[in-house]
Amino acid sequence: MTTDATKSNGGPADLVVRIDALVKSYPGRGEVLKGVSLEVPRSKIVSIIGSSGGGKTTLLRCVNLLERPDRAEMEIGGEPVFSGERLVCRDLARLRQTVGMVFQRFNLFPHLTAVENVMLAQIKSARVPESEAIERAVTLLRRVGLGHRATAYPDQMSGGEQQRVAIARALALRPTVLLFDEPTSSLDPESTGEVLKVMRELAEDGMTMLLVTHELPFAQEVSDWVVFIDKGLIVEQGPPLDVLQNPREERTKAYVMGYASHFEGGLEEAQRVMGI
Amino acid sequence: MPALAALFNVEWGDYTSDLLDALIKTIEFTIVGFIGAALLGLVLALMRLSKVRAVRTPAAVYTELFKNIPLLAIIFLTYFGLPSQGVRLTVFQAGALSLIIFYGAYLSEIFRAAIAGVHAGQQEAAEALGLSRGATFAQVIFPQAMRSALPGTNTMLVDLLKSTSLLVTISAAELMSQGQLIASETFRALEVYVVIAALYFALCYPLSQGLLWFERQIRAGVPLAPRRRRRLRLARQLLEKGVAA
Repeated sequence: MTTDATKSNGGPADLVVRIDALVKSYPGRGEVLKGVSLEVPRSKIVSIIGSSGGGKTTLLRCVNLLERPDRAEMEIGGEPVFSGERLVCRDLARLRQTVGMVFQRFNLFPHLTAVENVMLAQIKSARVPESEAIERAVTLLRRVGLGHRATAYPDQMSGGEQQRVAIARALALRPTVLLFDEPTSSLDPESTGEVLKVMRELAEDGMTMLLVTHELPFAQEVSDWVVFIDKGLIVEQGPPLDVLQNPREERTKAYVMGYASHFEGGLEEAQRVMGI
Repeated sequence: MPALAALFNVEWGDYTSDLLDALIKTIEFTIVGFIGAALLGLVLALMRLSKVRAVRTPAAVYTELFKNIPLLAIIFLTYFGLPSQGVRLTVFQAGALSLIIFYGAYLSEIFRAAIAGVHAGQQEAAEALGLSRGATFAQVIFPQAMRSALPGTNTMLVDLLKSTSLLVTISAAELMSQGQLIASETFRALEVYVVIAALYFALCYPLSQGLLWFERQIRAGVPLAPRRRRRLRLARQLLEKGVAA
């Protein structure tokens, strides 16, 4: 299995996502992001971690411009999409075809079957001929282990199945990068396992991914780079072992320890689960 | 059964073709009235969901105004009132327009609630997939809104059919008007209006049962559009053949 992400465009730095000094505020909430810079190189996996309300999801949603930054320099796939206070992306629809997104609550189209969910954007956004779209949809559903559920409706599927359909739907447009917004937060442990398995396979295929997650063991396992965000700023970033096992900053330590304390055996148990 | 025999002694055979014409006229009013009202209702609903106040307000005023005026008053206004302003409508135009004006207001309320009820995440998912605004509405928002608007809309359709009987006041040649004619010719008011009532029932009951069946099909996820059926059939074929993954 190969994805388009494995093909390098040979750009100088080959950064799929480059964000510089992004500021985003909401009326009444003030600045949610206070100047955040982030880079996602091709075929790499970057995880954003941090407590709720820290701005992780907002940052992710800025990447495909579901949220407009107040100010930022942003390049996606080497092309400037946002500069200063202005949107410079001329074709938002095309940008979104290159940036796939998987939501926390799946957001499948409930009136369409799994296979139609995966076909819709191919036909309506990418203008892929119908027969090709069906074939690709079936292939993708098989790839996420759901060939047998192709004609089921979302409400007939478990959360884990729905999220895997959502991943297939995001892959259907052959994106250069996939964004995951807490993809397992509304799932039970078994479903979480199913979804993480699919994401692990994507990682092995060289898919470029940017994910917001609370699954620290998973982040440690698959990520090339981990970014810890708190109160709208990047507090610490680096290779997963550095950030998650030997955090330098107090706030990172507190967050990682807080996570570890969810396990009965404390940090040691957490580390065992993480496979350290 | 002397009582029943006494009840029925109008020569109905003489009136069959008149009644048939009246039945067709009733159906015409229903179809034109409903299609017009649904289109008007959709436009009003979209206007009321607009971010622009200047678009929202007129639609809200319209809806509140015509929801709170009796249909009969609207019929009189369009047929007897407008000519004083030089607007002379035929009976059919005035009747259909009245139904559209009145039911458009009600349907806009049903449609507005249905469209607003589609989860915000749906719009976002469609946007994130690069769907245009038009495609997002046509492929994602509208089909879901239609499903939740269906029961209320169907009730309104049957109600509209029954309300065409109010057009008797402008002699619109529909069932009720025809009944009135026959009654005045035969002096058999009870018999005539029992028959007219039975005809309305014969129209409305199958219609509402049919619409309930339609609702159940939709709810059960039966793909009704030929295009969807074809796609699902192709998908099943591919799955059976086992295309190379």
